[in-house]
Amino acid sequence: MNDHVVEIRGLVKRWGDLTALAGVDLDVRRGEIFGLLGPNGAGKTTLISVVAGLARATAGTVRVLGHDVVRDYQFTRRAIGLVPQEINFDPFFTVEEALRFQAGYFGVRLSEERLVEILGALDLAAKRGTNARALSGGMKRRLLIGKALVHDPQVLFLDEPTAGVDVELRQQLWRHVRRLRDRGTTVVLTTHYLEEAEELADRIAVIDRGRLLLLEDKAALMARNAGQRLQDVYVALLQREREQREER
Amino acid sequence: MIGLGLRTLLAKEVRRFLRVPGQTLLSPLVTTTLYFVVFGWSLGARLQDVEGVPYARFIVPGLVTLGVVTNAYLNSASSLFVMKLQGTVVDLLVTPLSHGEVLAGFVCAAVLRGLLVGGVMWLVAGAFSGFHVAHPAFALLLVLLAAVAFAALGVMTAIWAATFEQVNFFPTFVITPLTFLGGVFYSARMLPPGLRTLTLANPVFYLVDGVRWGLVGISDAPPLAGLAILVALAAAALGGAYAMLASGYKLRG
Ligand SMILES: Nc1ncnc2c1ncn2[C@@H]1O[C@H](COP(=O)(O)OP(=O)(O)OP(=O)(O)O)[C@@H](O)[C@H]1O
Ligand SMILES: [Mg+2]
Repeated sequence: MNDHVVEIRGLVKRWGDLTALAGVDLDVRRGEIFGLLGPNGAGKTTLISVVAGLARATAGTVRVLGHDVVRDYQFTRRAIGLVPQEINFDPFFTVEEALRFQAGYFGVRLSEERLVEILGALDLAAKRGTNARALSGGMKRRLLIGKALVHDPQVLFLDEPTAGVDVELRQQLWRHVRRLRDRGTTVVLTTHYLEEAEELADRIAVIDRGRLLLLEDKAALMARNAGQRLQDVYVALLQREREQREER
Repeated sequence: MIGLGLRTLLAKEVRRFLRVPGQTLLSPLVTTTLYFVVFGWSLGARLQDVEGVPYARFIVPGLVTLGVVTNAYLNSASSLFVMKLQGTVVDLLVTPLSHGEVLAGFVCAAVLRGLLVGGVMWLVAGAFSGFHVAHPAFALLLVLLAAVAFAALGVMTAIWAATFEQVNFFPTFVITPLTFLGGVFYSARMLPPGLRTLTLANPVFYLVDGVRWGLVGISDAPPLAGLAILVALAAAALGGAYAMLASGYKLRG
């Protein structure tokens, strides 16, 4: 097997008349933090949804660890953890129940040790018996992250995981994401905080209107644009793209 | 072997309805008790026997059936619909649970709630009209099949519906009228020919009638007709719900 954990080929996704993904090819490498950037409506969530099986591709293929996400969905979904962009919670259950149920769906019995570890990493230990409804917005998002981790996925998709999370916890989450990467988990991260991508990502992809504009090692990208922040590089890239589009 | 995934979904669904017992178990009980108090007890003394059965006893099968199918339907329909609304359905859709497991989880929990409500209703009714059951196995089988069929219909509705109104349409405008017109309160033999023909075209009539044969021992139609119709309905509803889940209709974009 090669070292590509996610392989996307010719991925097209239309929502009715709207083309959200217009033929995307990209690979995510094992053990990297992959920063997926792009403006609102670029197609980031759509791409993640197709990989996680929440949406069906119009054309193209997606493979996770060499397995097709449609044909071998049981295999690929076991390998994937997803933190969705939209916060959701079940007001019937507590934090602990939510985590235990989610693990159970994956066929995993959550040990006390593992539960405590997840709660601790997300600073939710004190909220273990609290109803999800009674969590603050940032805590609800952290619970989402916890639910994505219960089955120890090999690839973790974080769709704007730090939106609405306070500075201190954001940094704690960054540390946690790095720790996961260092233990071998591959992480795909979308964010509108460019400094977050700059801080965390090993490689950066930028998509706009369903097309891949850039895919590069972060170190190489920053070296090529010495003295600039990722934010400047990103804004310039999108501006150039816009001008070229207008010329056409 | 039943996998941990399915057992978890089932446990979660059961815990969910047990967490709001007032709404899911108690409120149907209050309604039925009122029926028995009004029709079976206070009025029943003045009503004639139907086919040799005291009126209070005659109405038990229909009311129990109504309780079972309504609660089975409402459990799967509202649970899955609320998950869709809240976005928590994503938590299920990203798991390796197969379509069959998802369907089984919702249907089994709904059947359990239906049977719980039906069972307690039958106990309440028994206090008014006695606990003798003519053909217990047959009654249980029929009620079980009915619960499965309506639970699966609930899954189908939840997937399709965009509003709560649509979820509630079915019990209010289909289940309740068909059951009430399906001979809960009267024997089809008491009806004039026109109405009688209409009643015989109502599938729920065969359900109520079959359950009555099981519980009380009398029936208007052959009890096996009820069984056959229920088997067909349950198979069709399960098949339809499975096909909807497998197609990803409205759940996976
Ligand atoms: N379920 C859906 N039905 C119809 N259109 C959709 C659906 N989901 C997304 N779209 C459309 O697809 C396009 C891409 O949306 P997507 O959510 O993938 O963008 P995004 O890059 O995640 O944006 P954001 O940064 O705002 O989260 C948008 O134009 C959006 O309106
Ligand atoms: Mg998005």
